[in-house]
Amino acid sequence: MVAIIEKHEIRDFDWLTTGLAIAIASFGIWQIHNALPTESYWTKQIIGLLIALAAFAVVAVSDYRRIIDAAPIIYVIGLVLLFLVLTPFGVEVNGQRAWVRLPLVGQFQPSEFAKIPTVLMLAKYFGARKGGTLQLREVMIGALIMAGPLGLIMLEPDMGQALTYIPIFAAVLFLSSIKIRYVIAGLLAVVVFVPTAWYVGVKTGKIKRYQQERVNVVLDPDSADPRGYGYHTVQSMITVGKGGLSGTRGDTETSQSVLKFLPEPQTDFIFAVTAENTGFIGCISLLLAYALLISRLIDGAREVSDKQGMLVIMSIATAMAFQIFMNIGMTLGFLPVIGVPLPLMSAGLSALLSTFVAIGFVVSVRMRRFVN
Amino acid sequence: MKLNEHSQNLGGRIITIQVVVFVLLALLGARLYYLQVVRGDYFSERAENQRIRLIPIPAPRGAIFDRNGKILVDSRPTFNVVLSNEPIKGIEVDDRVDEYAKGLSLEPAYVRERLVSIKKQNDFETLVLKDNASMQDIAWVESHLLEFPELRVELQPQRFYPHGTSMAHVLGYVGEISPKQLESDEYKQKGFRPGDIIGKGGLEQYYDEYLRGTPGYRKVIVDSRGRVQSEIGKVDPQAGQDLVTTIDLDLQNAAEQQLAATPTKRGTIISMDPNNGEMLAMASLPSFDPNIFVQGSKTKEGRKQIAAYWQDPQRPLYNRAIQGRYPPGSTWKIPESVAGLEQGAITVAHSNLACGGGIQVGNKFTRCMGNHGSPKLDYAITHSCDGYYYRLALKLGIEGITEMVEQFDYDKLSGIDLPNEKISQTPKSWRPIVEKREGKWSDIRTVYSGIGQDTVVITPISHLRAIASVGVHGKMYVPHFMKEFKPVGAVGEEGDPSYIPGREGFTFLHPEAKPIPMTPEQEEIVVRGMWGVVNNGGTATSIHIPGFDIAGKTGTAQVAELGKDVGGKKDHAWFVSFAPAYKPEIAVLALVENVGFGGSFAAPAAKGVYEAYLAKKGILPQVDADQVAKQ
Repeated sequence: MVAIIEKHEIRDFDWLTTGLAIAIASFGIWQIHNALPTESYWTKQIIGLLIALAAFAVVAVSDYRRIIDAAPIIYVIGLVLLFLVLTPFGVEVNGQRAWVRLPLVGQFQPSEFAKIPTVLMLAKYFGARKGGTLQLREVMIGALIMAGPLGLIMLEPDMGQALTYIPIFAAVLFLSSIKIRYVIAGLLAVVVFVPTAWYVGVKTGKIKRYQQERVNVVLDPDSADPRGYGYHTVQSMITVGKGGLSGTRGDTETSQSVLKFLPEPQTDFIFAVTAENTGFIGCISLLLAYALLISRLIDGAREVSDKQGMLVIMSIATAMAFQIFMNIGMTLGFLPVIGVPLPLMSAGLSALLSTFVAIGFVVSVRMRRFVN
Repeated sequence: MKLNEHSQNLGGRIITIQVVVFVLLALLGARLYYLQVVRGDYFSERAENQRIRLIPIPAPRGAIFDRNGKILVDSRPTFNVVLSNEPIKGIEVDDRVDEYAKGLSLEPAYVRERLVSIKKQNDFETLVLKDNASMQDIAWVESHLLEFPELRVELQPQRFYPHGTSMAHVLGYVGEISPKQLESDEYKQKGFRPGDIIGKGGLEQYYDEYLRGTPGYRKVIVDSRGRVQSEIGKVDPQAGQDLVTTIDLDLQNAAEQQLAATPTKRGTIISMDPNNGEMLAMASLPSFDPNIFVQGSKTKEGRKQIAAYWQDPQRPLYNRAIQGRYPPGSTWKIPESVAGLEQGAITVAHSNLACGGGIQVGNKFTRCMGNHGSPKLDYAITHSCDGYYYRLALKLGIEGITEMVEQFDYDKLSGIDLPNEKISQTPKSWRPIVEKREGKWSDIRTVYSGIGQDTVVITPISHLRAIASVGVHGKMYVPHFMKEFKPVGAVGEEGDPSYIPGREGFTFLHPEAKPIPMTPEQEEIVVRGMWGVVNNGGTATSIHIPGFDIAGKTGTAQVAELGKDVGGKKDHAWFVSFAPAYKPEIAVLALVENVGFGGSFAAPAAKGVYEAYLAKKGILPQVDADQVAKQ
C-alpha cells in the first residue's frame, strides 16, 4: 500500500480536514462518555473511530475516478443492502426497522451507507453532462436514481434518514445549471406544499398523533404537555439551557442524561449532552469546527478539476450541513424530534463509518486536484 | 474556480450553498445564546427542580403521661407500603393488581382502587397502599424492588392509645387534617398542608401546637422515574413536647370501672383536686377507641366502626362531663344553700325554714318526699328536704337565683383545657325565653329551680367546680388536665437556615381562683350538712368509709317534665362530694343516666373512686376494682 502512495499524495493530503474530523469525533467520544459514564458506548465508539479511520485511509488513497466509474455497481449494492432491511435479516431497534444483521459483518444501518452510492451515482450521471441548462429529462433520471434508496428507506420507514437524502439531490441539481427560476419555483413549491401536506396529513390521520405532537411542541412549547410527546423537546431544552455559559465540565453526577431525564443522550441528543457539559463556549466551538470543516470541503470543491469530483464533495458537504442543522435544531427545540444522528458526534458505528468514508472521498478528490 | 468558465456561474452557486450553510449554523448559534446565556438560569432551576425532592421525615408527636409518669399516649413506629405515581404512569393497572394483592395480602378490589387513584394524582405524589405493614410485607417489597420500582416502604410513627377506650374523651385522637379545616384561616396561617396529622378532640386537639413536632426532610436526587439516587442533605425532625397530665391513671380506671358496673353503663365520673383544679379523673361512658380513628380510617372495617360511633344513639363520641347537660336535682341545693346564706335569705343562726311536706303555689301543690318540720339548713341538706328549698328559692327569688348562677359561674364555661365544652342552661339563661314565651316568669319555675329541675340543666364539670369550692373556703379553681410540658432540645446548628430552636418546658399557668364570699361559719354549716349526708343518717350513709369523712350530696333528677309521667325513663342519679370533709384533698362527682336514686347508684360509684384514692395512699388495702364493681 505504502508503495502506491506517491510523494505528491503525502504533500497534497488534506491534513486539516482529516485532523478536524478526528478532533470532532474525539470530542464526541468524550461527550458520549459524559452522557453515560458507566455504559460502554464510549469505548465502543473508540473502536468505531479506529475502524472508520482505516476505511477512511483506504478510500482517501484510492483514485476516486475509478470508484465513480464503478458507481452503478456500488449503487446496486447499496440498494441490495437497503432491501435486506425489509427481509428477515432486518433488525428492529427501539421500534424502528432500520438495521441489518449479517453473519460475520454484524449489525449496521444501510441507510447511512447508501448515501455514498447515491452520491456517486448522481455525480457520475450529472458530472458527465456537457454544460447547458438542465433538461427535464435529466432531472427525471436524477429523480429515478434518488427514488431507489429513498423508496426503500421510506418503506422501513425511517423518515429522518429519508430527509437527509433530499439536500443531496437539491445540491446536485442546483450545481448542474438548473435555471434559477426553477430553484425559486421549487422553494415556493416547498413553502406551499409543506403546510398543505401537513394539513391534509393531520386531517386524514396519515400523520400520526405523536408526530403531530412533536411538531406542536416546537410551534408552541408553552402549551405542550411536558410529560407527553413534548417531553423529549422540553428535556432537551432544559439540558441545553442548564449548561449555561461554561457548562458542568464533565461533572455528570446529577446530569440530565445520568438521571435519565434526557432520552437517547449518546445518539440523537448528544448535542444536548455537549451543551450541558461544555456550555455555550463549548457549543460555539463545536459549531465553528463544523463550519470550518464544511468550508474546507467546499473550498476543495472549488479547486477540483472535474465536475464529478465537485459534485461528490458538494453533495457530501451539503448533506452533512443539513444533518447538523436538523439534529441541533431538534436539540435546541425549534425543529421537531426526528431521529437523525449528529455527524461525527453521535454514538454508532454505521454513521461514523459512513461519514469518514464520505470524508475519505473528499480527501481523495482533493488529493488529485492537480492531476489530470 | 476552474469550473467557473464552463458553467452557469458555478462559483456563485457554490458560494450560495456556503452562505446558506453559514446562515443555518449562525441560527443555531443564536438559539444557543438564547437558551444557554439568556435563559440559562431558568433552565438550571428547572433541571434542579425536577431532580431534587424533599422527602418529609415525620416528627414524633409528644407523648402524654399521667401524673405519676405512666404512659397514656405514645407513638410507635409503623411501616407503610407507599405507591409513587411517577414510575407507575406507564403501567397498566391490571398488570399489578394480582401481584400486589398476593404479595401484600390485600383485597384485589382495594388494590385496584388505590392504583386507579394514584394514577390520577399529580406527579411525584405518593399514596399509602398498606399501612401497618408486617415484616413479611416489607421483605416482599424489598425483594421486588427491581420489578416494582413504584413501591417503597416508609417509616410512619403512628399514634397509639394503649388504654383503648379509657380516657378517650379526654385524650382525643389524631387524624389527617380535613379539607374543611384546610380552608379555614386559622389552619392556613399555621401552614398546614393536606395529609398533615393533627389532634382531633381532647388534649390532642387542645394542645396540638405543643404536642406536634416540626417535621424534618431528606433532600434527595431522583431520576426521571422518581427513584432516589442519592441523598444530598437531611434535616432532622424536632419531636413534639411530652405532656404530663394531672390524671391519676388508677383513679381514672376506678372511675371507668364504677361506671361500667352501673345498670345503664351510661354517665360520667369526674374527680378533681379542689385545692388547685387539677383533674384526677374524667370518665364518660359509653366511650370509643381512638385507635380506630388513627388506624381504621383507611380500612373498610375501620370506616364502618367510625360510622357506627357517629350513629350510635347512645352517643359514645360525646364527652358527658363537659358536653352533657343534665338537671342537677338535689345536688343543686349546695350552691343554693351558700347563696341563701350569702344573700341573707337565711343566716347561720336562723337557718330554719318550714318543710310543710311540700308547697302550694297557685292551685298546684308540689310535694316534699317527707315531712321534715322546720329544719335547719344542715338538716335540710343531710335529708334533702325539698320543702325547705322550695321556700328558700322563693325567698331568693329569680333575681337571687340569677345572682347565684353568676356567682358560681354556671353561666360560663369552666375553662377546662378541653375543646368543645358546653355552657350550662340556668334560670338566668331561660328567663328571657320563658318571659317571651309565657309573658312572665312564674313562681312555680322559681320553686322548681330550687330543687335543680326545669330550667336548671348543667354540665357536670361546671357543677363539680362549684361544689368543690365550698370545701376550700370558696375558691373556684379552673379545672385543668395539663400539669407540665417537658422541654425539647434544639435541632441543627444555630445560624443554619434549617435550625429549629429548642422549646422550653412550662407548667400550667393557674388563673386566679374566683372567690365565693363565705364566712367560716357559713361554710361550716353547709359542709356539716354535706358531712351528714354520708356520715350522719343522710341520704348516702351506705357509702360511709370509717376514718375518711366524705362530704357529699345526692341528687335524683327527673328526666321527664316535672309532674308528668316518667314514661319508663328513669331518673338520673347524682352524687357530688369532696373529702375529707373539713380539709378536702379530692372532689368526686358521679352522674349515672337513667338508673334511679342518687344514693343507690351514684354515691356507691363515687365511693369506688374514694377507695381507689385511699388504697393509693395506703390507708385502705388495695381493693380489686372488679370486686368493688360487683358490689
